[in-house]
Amino acid sequence: MGSLLGRSRTVLRAFPGVFRDLAVTVMLMAAASFGSAFLLRHTGVENNSALVYVLAVVLISRLTSGYFYAVCASLVAGFCTNYYFMYPYASFSLEFAGYPVAMLSMVAISLVVCTLTTQLKNQAEEAVQRERNTRALYELNDRLGREKADIQREKDRETIRGNILRAVSHDLRTPLTSISGAAAVLMESGGRDQRDRMLLEDIKSDADSLITMVENLLSVTRIQGETQIKKQSEVLEEVAGDAVLKVRRRFPEAEVELQLSEDILLVPMDPMLIQQVICNLLENAVRHSGDPTGIVLRLYRRGETAVTEVADRGRGLTPEVLEAVRAGRPLSTSTSGDASRGMGIGLSVCQSIVTAHGGVLEAENGPSGGAVFRFDLPLKEEEEREWTQP
Amino acid sequence: MDAALILVVEDERTISNFICRALVSAGYKALPAATGGEAITLFFSHRPDLVLLDLGLPDMDGLEVLQQVASDPQRETPVIILSARDRESEKVKALDLGADDYIVKPFGVPEVLARIRTTLRHAERVRSATHGEKKLSYRVKDLTVDTARHQVFVGEKEIHLTQNEFKILELLCLHAGKVLTYDFIMKEVWGPYTTGGNQILRVNMANIRRKLGENPSEPKYVLTELGIGYRLLEEG
Repeated sequence: MGSLLGRSRTVLRAFPGVFRDLAVTVMLMAAASFGSAFLLRHTGVENNSALVYVLAVVLISRLTSGYFYAVCASLVAGFCTNYYFMYPYASFSLEFAGYPVAMLSMVAISLVVCTLTTQLKNQAEEAVQRERNTRALYELNDRLGREKADIQREKDRETIRGNILRAVSHDLRTPLTSISGAAAVLMESGGRDQRDRMLLEDIKSDADSLITMVENLLSVTRIQGETQIKKQSEVLEEVAGDAVLKVRRRFPEAEVELQLSEDILLVPMDPMLIQQVICNLLENAVRHSGDPTGIVLRLYRRGETAVTEVADRGRGLTPEVLEAVRAGRPLSTSTSGDASRGMGIGLSVCQSIVTAHGGVLEAENGPSGGAVFRFDLPLKEEEEREWTQP
Repeated sequence: MDAALILVVEDERTISNFICRALVSAGYKALPAATGGEAITLFFSHRPDLVLLDLGLPDMDGLEVLQQVASDPQRETPVIILSARDRESEKVKALDLGADDYIVKPFGVPEVLARIRTTLRHAERVRSATHGEKKLSYRVKDLTVDTARHQVFVGEKEIHLTQNEFKILELLCLHAGKVLTYDFIMKEVWGPYTTGGNQILRVNMANIRRKLGENPSEPKYVLTELGIGYRLLEEG
């Protein structure tokens, strides 16, 4: 019975609302009338027709939306019962005692039943809706939980990776320092021929490159290890000046000119990290441009940002490098090649540090052909927190 | 004068080795110590002229060794700290505890030797008669700071500084060659109860540099010690 009702409801759902309800009502009423007529002819018991109509009204209230059709049907049913199936047949009569009572009670029963059915139907629909909501909520919750676990796992993995990187870098620093230092002492002590001195120089310069790389790796772990960088207000030209001194110490052949900004630029930053960025960009220019002279480090203000710009007179940047910097992805080893060993790491480190400070790193070829690297840093933090720094 | 004796407190044997060798090549006598305990024993038995102190020691905190050395009542022995680049607060603490200078790890030999020379000379000057007294005027290269008349000259040209700018420069001159932390300068110039950041000092310093015509990438007078403070460069 339930499945039959269900199937008929699916069929009926195909019709548009009002038309469908009307059709259902007319059809069921007609069926009840035929049924009563059939019963009247065969059994001769007149009162059965009322029950047949009540059944039709119940079905109508179940299959149509709202009270309207069922109420109409119960009134029509009351009239029809009286008119067709009660003595005198084929006329409306309230003369016989009990007829009005029978008719009114039939209408009343129909109304009550149809009210109950409609309520039941609404409740059933609500229950279904509630269940659907609950299931959706449950699924959402489940998905959220899974995603959260994934993120946590990824974060844990990241932390572990960072810790290993930090530990390895720290441990590399000491032996590299002593390799570079020992080579320097041997170079100073004299009494060696030219070829030995060249080998010692190679040892020292390679150890120094590795030290720079280790410093870069440590900077990266310093950004990733903490949720937020510790910023304090620094005068940009002091940081830039220090970077120039450091690069000049490592590459005595380098010629770098620092051009100061007109006004004093106080920038919230981690000074060690920004110094690292400027060092990397300068080292890039010294080692990879093909011309270590005429490098210009320019500081200036652009709107609410402080811009640091490194320009060289070298061979300029290849489209691959420009594209990689623009897209903010690391240089692949195939494009950087052997000639620019270490450039990839240096630039990715610059990119991560600048991004972590809320700035943007750009690269282009200057009008006279050399490479130009430029990054900006916001002059103000979103929240004015720098005053809390000791 | 005898060759200066330098106590090298460093637990990494390879680093200690090359530093000692470099010191001996440069004409100093070197005394290695691998632990804090050994360092303190050797310090009081050998009376070195200078201590090179690594802060990361296996048996105790390097700052503790520093305190013991600094509290020696008989004489002031200069201490140079060896510390990693990314540990500014540690360096600042050591300087405030009385260390004379610091060298950032990883360091090169020429840097170590230069710092040792400067610090020994500075200590020598402190021991001589002028110790702690304000001089009437200071000269650094072509910069003259006349404290009596509150005048500053670069060559023959007079430079007009504000009162605070002059105080900062005077303070740096008084401790020429030594790193002065931001905190120290703030307290000396703006008084012991200053609060808030040191931006005011930084801006003043940038102005002093502009007035003296100095570019931070070619420092003639004042050197920036990033994240730590400033130092007045001495002759030579």
